Amino acid sequence: MEQSGTSPLLLGTVQDVASGVVSALRGGDHARVADLAAVDGGAHSLVTAAVRVVGADLLLPDVLRGTPPDDAELALFTKAVQAYPPRRDTKPTVAWSHWAMRRTLRRLDAPAPGRPVGEPDGSWLIEADWQFLTQQLAVLAALALPTQDSTVFRVARSRPVDVARGFVRAVRRRDWQQAAGAGRWLTLLPGVPDTLGLEAGLDFVELMGGDDPRVALQVEAARRMRAGAFV
Amino acid sequence: MSSTEHVVEELAPLADLDIEAALDPAEPDGVYRDSRECAALAIIAGGGAVLLAPPTPRPKKG
Repeated sequence: MEQSGTSPLLLGTVQDVASGVVSALRGGDHARVADLAAVDGGAHSLVTAAVRVVGADLLLPDVLRGTPPDDAELALFTKAVQAYPPRRDTKPTVAWSHWAMRRTLRRLDAPAPGRPVGEPDGSWLIEADWQFLTQQLAVLAALALPTQDSTVFRVARSRPVDVARGFVRAVRRRDWQQAAGAGRWLTLLPGVPDTLGLEAGLDFVELMGGDDPRVALQVEAARRMRAGAFV
Repeated sequence: MSSTEHVVEELAPLADLDIEAALDPAEPDGVYRDSRECAALAIIAGGGAVLLAPPTPRPKKG
């Protein structure tokens, strides 16, 4: 199930970048992402845009392991933060994903470009129905990290049953990307019903969404966090 | 020219690419599985209560 509104060229590059992150999470290295970053001209610009879309998760392997990021990768990440600031009238998810990238830089003791910014407004999520809540949380799955508090995290923590319902809905709609993102959140939330069968559900989502590295990224992140891989 | 201006100018050719659409994608239309199909898939996947949950209410037509 592809998302509408994204150019195939950008989508393909996003998948390439996500694939590199999956490789690193599984114990490989970031060679593929670093290779992508080494190209020139328009392709380099495209990779930078793709990094902005993948967002904070680009450096997730380093955040989880507490290791310093590769210099070239960090430079690319910082460049994406700088090049694509949220517009004044932007949607909340765009502002939050940008904030998440800046937070990642702070966590890695790397300088963030521009002036310090506080949390974006979180009120849009508080009154959201369970379907929209789950869809938005899945888009913002990069914020699902243990010990990384935010308004979005607090809303998710207060509604585990709604997110569980959204996970089931996403599976039944075959929206594997949304299911994987929701599953990552559920891994961290207290009060998730045991009857959900989250672990088997994530296995199933991985099986069905297997050729999309964005799905694999979220499932792998959920597994790493479930296993307590966080420094 | 500041560093930020330089980076933004360098990436200007990407203006046509809708980064915002990629960052905030609309929920795609879904195709619901029926309960029997989910039950079969749950068995294949090694069992999972999630897939056997009661059907999610569907929007009424018309």
